[in-house]
Amino acid sequence: MQGSRVLAVDLAGDSVKARNGSMVAYDGQMTFKRMSGGGEGLRGLVTRRITGEKMTVMEVQGKGTCWFAERATEINLVRLTGERLHVEASNLLCTEATLRTGTEFTGLRGASEGHGLFTTKVEGQGWAAVTSDGPAVILRVAPGLPLRVDPGAYIAHTGNLKQSFRTDVTWRAVVGETGGESFQIEFEGDGLVYVQPSERRTFAGDA
Amino acid sequence: MTTGPVVWDPSTLPTDDNVNPYAFSVALNGRWFLQKGKMVAYYGNITFHPIGYGPLDSLISTSFHSPTHVGDWVVAEGQGHMILADRAYDVNSYDLEQGNLTVRAGNLLAFAPTLALKQSIIPGFLTLIGSGKFVAASNGPVHFVEPPIRVDPQALVGWADCPSPCHHYDHAYMRGVLGGVRRLTGIGGASGEEHQYEFVGAGQVLLQSTEVLMNELVAVEPGHTVPAQSAQANLGALGRQLGF
Repeated sequence: MQGSRVLAVDLAGDSVKARNGSMVAYDGQMTFKRMSGGGEGLRGLVTRRITGEKMTVMEVQGKGTCWFAERATEINLVRLTGERLHVEASNLLCTEATLRTGTEFTGLRGASEGHGLFTTKVEGQGWAAVTSDGPAVILRVAPGLPLRVDPGAYIAHTGNLKQSFRTDVTWRAVVGETGGESFQIEFEGDGLVYVQPSERRTFAGDA
Repeated sequence: MTTGPVVWDPSTLPTDDNVNPYAFSVALNGRWFLQKGKMVAYYGNITFHPIGYGPLDSLISTSFHSPTHVGDWVVAEGQGHMILADRAYDVNSYDLEQGNLTVRAGNLLAFAPTLALKQSIIPGFLTLIGSGKFVAASNGPVHFVEPPIRVDPQALVGWADCPSPCHHYDHAYMRGVLGGVRRLTGIGGASGEEHQYEFVGAGQVLLQSTEVLMNELVAVEPGHTVPAQSAQANLGALGRQLGF
């Protein structure tokens, strides 16, 4: 890491997958290869096209150091050891080649974010870099300790979590008086949730 | 990064303090006023009520006196930890003791109901009176300066204990033939600093380190019809968008 907004990756012949166009500098020998459909093969390509969870990825291979950055957003490193990371495609910057990525159905929550009904999952062993608007706050969820998150601030989660969409829309909302925080994602189970200190514009409003 | 990132849970989350410079944790036990959309996550049993919610009447009558901003605020009620944040801006909490502080409406995130919120006579600003804690955001760290001072309206976050500012227009620069040409055509003229707020008297003025105003979120999303009653509430948002 260089600061918290630039990610430096040292490569020694191995490769990483990174979002297209996120390389800001490199030294040594590097090749950049565009991978259609997030490098998930034809099936992945088609799935992503259909699901709208678009992700243009390049494979970076070579020897040297490569620096990645994305619109000066904060970069959070997530170490995966076999578990699964769920992340919005727009927040995934870079993954080690050892990690597999795929799409997954999330249901109503995705729709409320204007992010579509699907999210990206990352599995395997290695590092993944996740971007956030402002440094992410990592919150633990344990049994009996549910967490509710604003859909616009959610970026990723790991572990075995059940998410459900929660509303407290009542008749008051219908007459135009809402609590303003009517839409939330509830996480139950055991795991970590990454939240950014900022909210995307969401379909559900200022939820 | 060699050390793992910090993982927070309700037992480690700070009580009414910053989690990091951009996020603030409130240990809620009772009620807090909250600007809509500033809550990013919470633990525990918390409900959010609009200002017009009946059972809150007595609270509102003592602590909330800003008709044009009614639509922007909610009351959080219950027990638990709330995490507040605002567009990744710096978030700070301030303790007020029998004081008064005026702050740009869009920068105020939340306040304890021991404070009373009043609407400043300067459009788009809110005044807090009494004792208690409140949370405000700024684009970059806040600087405290003492009057007499003239400040750029866009860099102004708020002011404490001093009389309300007056508007200062750099007239001398816009005077005369040359000044007339400048004023009418904008050619070779406007430095962009002709409009200033002037503070005199004792107190503190809070400035942020940028002149870029926050992009205000509009309380009503496109596609939703605006109910007649909230048209007035939107005046606050409108005022902020105009840069007041």
